[in-house]
Amino acid sequence: MALASSNLAEAKAPRASDLEIVALNGMFDERDTLGVIRYALEELLPGEPLAVVSSFGADSAVLLHHIAQVDPHKEVLFLETGKHFAETLEYVETIKQRFGLTNIRFLEPDAADLKRFDPHGTLWDTDPDSCCHIRKTEPLKGALDQYAGWITGRRRHQTQERGVLPHFELTSDVRIKVNPLAYWTYEDVKAYKAEHDLPEHPLVQHGYRSIGCAPCTSATREGEDPRAGRWRGLNKAECGIHFDFNGQIASPAAKLENRTLFKSGRFIADPFHVWGEGDAPETSAYVHVPLAIWQENRDAFIAADHPIGLLIEPGDDFEAIAEDFDRFASIAVAFPKFTDGRGYSYARLLRERYGFTGELRATGDILTDQVPFLRRCGFDALTVTNEATKKALENDALAEVSVYLQPVGSRGEAPVGTRPFLRRADQ
Amino acid sequence: MYRYDEFDAAFVRQRTEQFADQVRRRISGELNEDQFRPLRLMNGLYLQLHAYMLRVAVPYGTLSSKQLRRLAEIARKYDRGYGHFTTRQNIQFNWPRLNDVPKILAELADVEMHAIQTSGNCIRNVTTDQFAGAAADEIIDPRPIAEIIRQWSSLHPEFTFLPRKFKIAITGAPQDRAAVKFHDIGLMAKTGPNGEIGWTVYVGGGLGRTPMVAKQIRDFVDHEHLLAYLEAILRVYNRYGRRDNKYKARIKILVHEAGIDTIRDQVEEEFAAMKDGILKLPQEELDRITAYFAAPAFKEVEQKTIDLPKLKITDPAFARFIERNTHPHFRDGYVSVTVSMKPIGGTPGDATDIQMEAIADLAEKYSFDELRVSHEQNLVLPHVALDDLRAVYEGLVDIDLAEGNTGLITDIISCPGLDYCALATARSIPIAKSISQKFSAPERQEQIGDLKIKISGCINACGHHHVGHIGILGLDRKGVENYQITVGGDASEDAAVGSILGAGIAGDDVPDAIEKLVDLYIEKRESADETFIAAFRRLGEAPFKEALYGTR
Ligand code: SF4
Ligand code: SF4
Repeated sequence: MALASSNLAEAKAPRASDLEIVALNGMFDERDTLGVIRYALEELLPGEPLAVVSSFGADSAVLLHHIAQVDPHKEVLFLETGKHFAETLEYVETIKQRFGLTNIRFLEPDAADLKRFDPHGTLWDTDPDSCCHIRKTEPLKGALDQYAGWITGRRRHQTQERGVLPHFELTSDVRIKVNPLAYWTYEDVKAYKAEHDLPEHPLVQHGYRSIGCAPCTSATREGEDPRAGRWRGLNKAECGIHFDFNGQIASPAAKLENRTLFKSGRFIADPFHVWGEGDAPETSAYVHVPLAIWQENRDAFIAADHPIGLLIEPGDDFEAIAEDFDRFASIAVAFPKFTDGRGYSYARLLRERYGFTGELRATGDILTDQVPFLRRCGFDALTVTNEATKKALENDALAEVSVYLQPVGSRGEAPVGTRPFLRRADQ
Repeated sequence: MYRYDEFDAAFVRQRTEQFADQVRRRISGELNEDQFRPLRLMNGLYLQLHAYMLRVAVPYGTLSSKQLRRLAEIARKYDRGYGHFTTRQNIQFNWPRLNDVPKILAELADVEMHAIQTSGNCIRNVTTDQFAGAAADEIIDPRPIAEIIRQWSSLHPEFTFLPRKFKIAITGAPQDRAAVKFHDIGLMAKTGPNGEIGWTVYVGGGLGRTPMVAKQIRDFVDHEHLLAYLEAILRVYNRYGRRDNKYKARIKILVHEAGIDTIRDQVEEEFAAMKDGILKLPQEELDRITAYFAAPAFKEVEQKTIDLPKLKITDPAFARFIERNTHPHFRDGYVSVTVSMKPIGGTPGDATDIQMEAIADLAEKYSFDELRVSHEQNLVLPHVALDDLRAVYEGLVDIDLAEGNTGLITDIISCPGLDYCALATARSIPIAKSISQKFSAPERQEQIGDLKIKISGCINACGHHHVGHIGILGLDRKGVENYQITVGGDASEDAAVGSILGAGIAGDDVPDAIEKLVDLYIEKRESADETFIAAFRRLGEAPFKEALYGTR
């Protein structure tokens, strides 16, 4: 293993220049998925193949179905971490049969690494970051080295920071990323699955929404969690590995009881960390960057183009960087003391004035009683350390006032619980 | 009067349950006192010297007979048989048990009352003119807008953790009976350029350690945009108000330090951004709320005037009552009656369960079921026909609350002071009582005329001593109570903060000191028509100082 990451950056420089790549966007009709794939596989870089990586998760079938139509013999990479659900492996087989895919390549962890770092197979429990590194990051790096880029299943509608996702991108490490499903909505996916009777991942019917390695995926059944959907706008946790392939590879997870990120009605693994020692604008990803650090290193961050977040402390003049807000996948607003309510105003400004649609999370000293206020001001994620608050959230025991006597601007709120004059259609 | 719709009812019920849960968590130890404090405070529950104190909101001072009866019942069942009306038009119970508080709140919810936001760093109960909707001099009844502000501010998600508490007062009459310039935001009705009615907005007033008269921030805002404008102010305050020092956290300090012009610019910028957003108040909604406050069905009255000179001979006490305790009503043949909760030698603002029930009966019979709490700690029957005045008076005589002393020297505002308050540095109620006794003779009070004495038991100034014509502030000097006297304060539209006359004096000497000031005034006044405060303005503080301390 041990491919230095600089190798990756220097890897195959695409033969096409930036401009040519960018110019490709617009060549294809938004929904011409097959056209995009065909072009990517056959014409874009003749003799320089692009990789297809799939997690064979809940959302993978649509892309694979298209790939199979263009070229059933195309190599499809699958990270066989050794920790998958049996159902996932079964699903790989089903897809293979049904779509007639002939070349699915399992990327396995380096045996020596496993022996050395994870002899008992329990590394996920003690150090999930390292486990992911051995089982995902390294094998993937090795495989991708042979490619000039890859085809992803990412969609604009999946998570908010992808709002402007094009068909063709040149990434910071000068690889080409092709996103044939960029314009697909969730409804499109559903309709397509139904129309073509695509097989579902067996665990979907058991309520799993995002499926990764077994130890790190927790079951959440549909309909079981009345709070789901309250944290609007977020489907699931982002992939925690640096590559950000298709958002479907499971994220590294902290031990369940250590999970502090509450989102979509449950505690999930937090892909983000707070900026600290060892972080650098060029290399760090999934980090909440303090405002001042962002301001000092803005160019470097933008050049690196990793998914990052912003950290706003009370008193920060965050509006000074308003034009950058949509660069952040997540904005964390700190509540160092729960009695300091400045963050509520910040949240409303971010949401209502600046139209920020990414993850907005409250971090710090949060009491259960504040959760409804936070949510109404536009927060859709919380990092909770207060034990009592954690317990209440886990047990769905928030005593809440569901009727509002005044509107705030969060989307979708006005019609439900507000005064008669405010019960008007959502704008 | 406003009536809850299903929304308000659900709101208060859920809030009550939420608080019951918080109390449960406190009792079980899940919450420690530090965590519980801000939560209980948001629900009006204080920890006082001897016990918890529960403060119940009387929205803009408006009560129905049924509600007052319920308050009486709670006083009897869960307290020691009395309640205390405050300078914020609220009522406090001084002895509830923590365990009982959820029950009390549930019983309050039955009659559309609650304790939400009567304390804590949030927007407090909005206060207004106690004669709102009745006064002859009113431009507009402020209660519909007060109700709309109440709704807007109730559990506002953005503004429940402000730097400090936030008080809004509103008056619809040019004669300011709501002390709007001593509130964080003061709203004063104004006729706009096209004859429409709107509001002049003042900001940054307050008493406490650093008394300040509010500054005008906007000359005119119409009903439609009022909520957006208020939200803009609150947002600027929430973002920029000081949080490093609780004594500098009120908006008055922000306005003072940043300057009104800066604050105005910031507010205007916010306002411009959200002016036409979701907070724009449609006329239909204003009409809908206003309909709740329609004037009662007045009856044709026989008596249009009262022959006061004659009464003064035949029944001087009743005549005094009429002269002092009635206020002109917009409807001929009607008056608003102030029930003075300041019987001679009594505790200002205290009412027993029996008194509350009797007053509720009078309101039901003679005032269309309506009652008001004034910020001067009195109760008001807003719509009483002259025909019924005697019956009301006699009803009050029966419960010893017929003192005709409204606005006189014995109509003293006093905070609870060392008798109840954990923050107090001196007693204030006993001082009020001793002054009241000293000037108990009605003739003497009448001779002195309008004179407002206000007493606080510490620099937090809950007794509004800064704006008393004579203000008394109880301090602690090396373990001895010591009272500082100020003169010349005024809470009305001619807002002014009183000046300190000199070194503090002993509690026992306070009544005599007041007498010296009063005697000086009587000696120097141009005629009996020149009030104490008018004379003070003409004379300046020097002669008063001299009267109190002699020449040096
Ligand atoms: S997801 Fe979990 S099991 Fe899979 S590689 Fe990462 S830490 Fe290991
Ligand atoms: S002025 Fe001081 S003593 Fe009086 S009630 Fe307020 S805090 Fe207590």
